[in-house]
Amino acid sequence: MTPKGLLPGVRVLDVGQGISGPYCAKILAQMGAEVIKVEPPAGDSARRMGPFPSDLPHTEKSGLFLALNANKYGVTLDLSSPEGAESFRKLAATADIVIENPPPISLEELGLGYESLQQINPGLILTSITPFGRRGPYKDFKATDLILYHMSGHAHGLLGAVKDPDKDPPIRAGGHQAEFVGGLAAATATMMALYGKQMKGQGSQINVSSFEAMVTQLISGLANSAWGRPAPPRDLAMVEEAAIGGMVGAIGGILPCNDGYVAISPREDAQWERWLVVMGNPTWSTDDRYSTRDARQKNSPSLWKLLSDWSINYSKHEIARLGQEQRVPCFPVNTVLDLMSDEHLAHREFFVEMDHPEAGTLKYPGAAYKLSNSDLPLTARPAPLLGQHNQEILEV
Amino acid sequence: MNQLPLQGIRVLDLSWIIAGPTATRFLASMGAEVIKVGSARRPDPSTRGPAFQAYNQSKLYASLNLSKPEGLELVKLLLAISDVVIENFAAGVIERLGLGYDVVRAARPDIIMVASSGTGHFGPHTDYVAYGSLLQHYTGWNSISGHPNREPVTGGLWADPWVGMELAMVTVASLNNRVLTGEGQYVDFSMAEALSACLPEAVLDYQMNDRVKDPMGNRDDWYAPHGVYHCFGSDRWVAIAVTNGSEWAALCGLIGRSDLTSNSKYATAEGRRQFQDELGTAITEWTMQHEDIEAMRLLQQAGVPAGPSQDILRVFQEPQLSEAGYFNRVKTRDGEERDLPGLPWRFEGTQAPILTEAPVLGEHNDYIYGGLLGLSQGVVAQMVEEQIIY
Repeated sequence: MTPKGLLPGVRVLDVGQGISGPYCAKILAQMGAEVIKVEPPAGDSARRMGPFPSDLPHTEKSGLFLALNANKYGVTLDLSSPEGAESFRKLAATADIVIENPPPISLEELGLGYESLQQINPGLILTSITPFGRRGPYKDFKATDLILYHMSGHAHGLLGAVKDPDKDPPIRAGGHQAEFVGGLAAATATMMALYGKQMKGQGSQINVSSFEAMVTQLISGLANSAWGRPAPPRDLAMVEEAAIGGMVGAIGGILPCNDGYVAISPREDAQWERWLVVMGNPTWSTDDRYSTRDARQKNSPSLWKLLSDWSINYSKHEIARLGQEQRVPCFPVNTVLDLMSDEHLAHREFFVEMDHPEAGTLKYPGAAYKLSNSDLPLTARPAPLLGQHNQEILEV
Repeated sequence: MNQLPLQGIRVLDLSWIIAGPTATRFLASMGAEVIKVGSARRPDPSTRGPAFQAYNQSKLYASLNLSKPEGLELVKLLLAISDVVIENFAAGVIERLGLGYDVVRAARPDIIMVASSGTGHFGPHTDYVAYGSLLQHYTGWNSISGHPNREPVTGGLWADPWVGMELAMVTVASLNNRVLTGEGQYVDFSMAEALSACLPEAVLDYQMNDRVKDPMGNRDDWYAPHGVYHCFGSDRWVAIAVTNGSEWAALCGLIGRSDLTSNSKYATAEGRRQFQDELGTAITEWTMQHEDIEAMRLLQQAGVPAGPSQDILRVFQEPQLSEAGYFNRVKTRDGEERDLPGLPWRFEGTQAPILTEAPVLGEHNDYIYGGLLGLSQGVVAQMVEEQIIY
């Protein structure tokens, strides 16, 4: 029997395409809501985004689409046609939540906006995710993950310090993180609205800005700005100067190994003492330049050189294990290959396997949480084929 | 006008540093009464500096010494009147303090206990000590970011803020379940898994094509041109992402290079990906003549997705944020007017979110111990004396 999850009986229409809207709806689906994905006849745009087996685009084999839309039902509707719009209204009358992420086109532009839907379903929650929200000078601007990552301040800090900022530009993170965070923000807001609906019967119209969702990840930096602090520099020389002035935060970084890298951060004095045990108490450790936390932070460039000369003789997993045995915060720099063979993740059954009629059997990342009183329907059904549930859902 | 959706919920916040406090900030802003508990004996490490102000907006703050048996009894009284308790100590710490789920549930049977740690609360690496910056490496998150054949990226503040929002989400999901079933919940949350869950493309590419993909800087598997281009001024860049043929034609027209549009070499995204370096040179000739904000405006007017690559101070000064109503202007306790960060969503027709200044330790002791728990002033004063309320 399929586990019920946390939201049995909650019905969601996912009109989203691409990542942010479908990711929001995916969260609701894995929490146990009944999610009906409403695709245009040509399909969600994510069906045209990779990865694909052998890099050959195929409507039913996009890894991104399969991961974002598992555990949902799927119907196709042309919302710009009167018949399609009518079918949608019928579905919306039975739904608790509708999720959209225009562009390309909003429900409002299709005559299916909040006011129109509220007339047939007063308690409805409509969550709209757009790049910049519905207000402000950029409200009609276009954006992709790249644009949002850079505009929100994340790219400035990602690479770390560089020798020549004019030759080495800021970069984005891989894997569409800005779109995911827009979807997570929308799911969080939608859960809150659902609580308001359950307790007070109130419907909600929620507008989410993916840009603001990215900015909200950096509230510590915003607070620094509000209290008059300068932005952290990218220029290596300025960063080192700041270190000498005692302006850097906790000590930490990556060390080269014979098979990759390991990340360490023995920032507290007690952690540093235990880290020295891992390294076999090297003679330089009593040097004034490294004997206190302040001194280590000020002299971190030369310190890092000493640590690297040692670490290169070991493997990343070896150092991570030795470090953790001494309770030093220390992890290997993993690739997806490492993840998929990680014994801890395997023990926690983090990856979940599903068989899809076209794409075959694949493992998908699961949920980051386990619940004592509910099992989550993480493998209730693979992502829907295009129009798979038209008959079952639309022709009733 | 609707009320804030979480009004009537009380949250006991035993968490500290970033992830847990970020979660409860979201809950407090949307109407929950959040009681942060801390002690001068072991202050929240984020207390120094403005970051604490952001993470702890909109909360109440009680001082309470958990190392004293009487302190534990006080926590149990607070648990009995709370809907949610949240903690993000290293795995095992809360149990050693004497506040495991069994104890918590005895104080309040339908409570939702949210426990977040680096690698979760069971499994062979449960007791691994972690910081968010290191988890970004462990989870594969950093392995898809950076440049090919260069050492991994070392910056990026992602794990803690992401987990903070996801903890808020799963907390409210559990509250929704309590409405449906009357049951509480223990939530075992793994920060590491939260990050790995957002790499589906890399995970599936590996299975489909036996490929561990190199990071690709600002480039993309599909779209091209796709990158940042140097603008007028030092370290000034505009990000441009061309996602289809009409945006490509618009870009070429804007930069005065319509000849590129008619060149069949660049007609498809695949062609443009292949020749991205030479296209970059052509684009940069134009961007160098413009300041980044102006370049964005011109590109957006032409219908091309674009935006400046900004540091956090420029983000703070961003007119889009102030004009969209993101910030909340507050007179802080030092007498200054400051724009405090807000929320990424608007509930239309609903009362404004609560976005007040962060409290100081013990600021709300009177309300919490006197008002909520009904302890007399004499008893409270005695507990202060004995460093229980401390």
